[in-house]
Amino acid sequence: MNDGITMTTRRDVLTGLGSALLATWAIAPRAEAAQQATAQTTPPTLKVTGDVRTPLTLSPDELKAMPRAKVEVKDEDGRLVSYEGVLVGEILKRAGAALGGELRGNTVATYVVASASDGYQVVFSLAELDPAFTGSQIIVADMIDGKPLFAYQGPLRIVAPNDTRPARSIRMLERLDVVRVKK
Amino acid sequence: MRVCLAALVGFALASFNIDRVPAQSIHAWTLPAGFPAPDVPADNPITEAKADLGRHLFYDTRLSGNGTQSCATCHEQSRAFTDGRARSVGSTGQLHTRGSMSLVNVVYAQGLTWANPSLTRLEVQALIPMYGDHPVELGLNRSDRWIDVIAKDATYERLFAAAFGTAPHPFTRDRVVQAIATFERTIVSARSPYDHYHFERDDAAISDAAKRGEVLFHSRPLACFTCHGGVHFSGSMGSARRPAPVVLHNTGLYNLPGLLSYPSSDAGLYDVTHESADVGKFKAPTLRNIAVTAPYMHDGSVATLEEAIDHYAAGGRTITTGPYQGVGHDNPNKSPAINGFSLTREQRADLVAFLNSLTDEAVLRDPRFENPWTRQSRP
Repeated sequence: MNDGITMTTRRDVLTGLGSALLATWAIAPRAEAAQQATAQTTPPTLKVTGDVRTPLTLSPDELKAMPRAKVEVKDEDGRLVSYEGVLVGEILKRAGAALGGELRGNTVATYVVASASDGYQVVFSLAELDPAFTGSQIIVADMIDGKPLFAYQGPLRIVAPNDTRPARSIRMLERLDVVRVKK
Repeated sequence: MRVCLAALVGFALASFNIDRVPAQSIHAWTLPAGFPAPDVPADNPITEAKADLGRHLFYDTRLSGNGTQSCATCHEQSRAFTDGRARSVGSTGQLHTRGSMSLVNVVYAQGLTWANPSLTRLEVQALIPMYGDHPVELGLNRSDRWIDVIAKDATYERLFAAAFGTAPHPFTRDRVVQAIATFERTIVSARSPYDHYHFERDDAAISDAAKRGEVLFHSRPLACFTCHGGVHFSGSMGSARRPAPVVLHNTGLYNLPGLLSYPSSDAGLYDVTHESADVGKFKAPTLRNIAVTAPYMHDGSVATLEEAIDHYAAGGRTITTGPYQGVGHDNPNKSPAINGFSLTREQRADLVAFLNSLTDEAVLRDPRFENPWTRQSRP
């Protein structure tokens, strides 16, 4: 419900040029409005909790200071749109999640619940968020085409550029909860 | 000289994709950045001359059997090309089962009318109001004698020649519907205050209340965008690069006992498929200009925007008396997206403010869509 209708995916000519399968982003309100509308209930932070060594509460400025990454997806008219932010794997690494060499054995059975301020939730396996494991390009974005996210997308959203459907590119992201299935 | 001209024409044709939208039509629409290019049938490309002819036909009462109505009778520009009635009335006085739909951005529509996914071309759809019997709308005689009448009008001689050249018999039914469809495709609403806010990033274009309402619209538990999504705030809209499936919805407007949970006079998609699962399924129309297109729903049974919000907040309409008594919330075909929600008075006002920001005064007054006959002799 969070994303399903406003974004659609499709294969197109760019896949033939070597681009990954790209999501399509349609209309979305401005981030400033989202912040105004939800300011009383949603602090503009990203919490990282659960089975991590160092639970985090990241401010927008702290995200800006982390290693930045860009991904390109397609908008409704087929134009490339650039999202900028931080690899989710980078954020999880800072929180001390079991990534890289630690992601083995029972630890592979770990997943991450991403939650939005409107209650929408999606799940990724930890492995698919680890660039060392899957080459993940999944980011927490705070910018679109060099500007703050469109409103209800923000202030933060996940962009999963290789998903063939956009429903996991969760808007209004506020929490990542790491859950290990087998202790 | 002839060679040079041919080279120029060749260059002009090569400079845009003739299978899509001719460059002049894109220019005429002045779509804002980020607005998708519409798809246009390759066999009826848009030209200004054809749109001008279509506009004259659209506003011409000679396109009704008794000379009392034109397309514009039920599609008034000032009402975003609706008629302000709950249910439209045809040229012979017959009360229809449905209200007229807005024509704005119909060039993007993947399925036409309230509940017929198989109707995808405006050229075909136009024949229904022109010649249809159930109900009678314009009530034209199928002998097409009316075409012989307008063919004698000097204005049409000029317009048909400009649109289609000087073939021996330029006045045909096919060309009439091609021209009307072309005119309709040029009616694009993209200059509302919301568009200035969103596409031009003009923060002063809409109120803070509208901005808050926009977020409500796009968030749970309302999630209005689920059915009224994309740049048209509508279901089943596509573009040149992205066709979309036609998806229709039962919103729990009625829940009658018996086999048909909707009034038998109009059961929506069921009337096309005769599948019980399709009873009560209709299109989610565009919310652009929604403030000027009351009353609402396919049968105009919801009078105001506030009443429409009440309907969705309740997760379906309850009718306590009369022949349509029933609890729409419990309709077996109701869309899973219609779950109900609660709003504070302020949130409700914010949502209405957002919907009001979708009113595009420019399209409602655009002289390109006005009645062209007012300054001429006919009609």
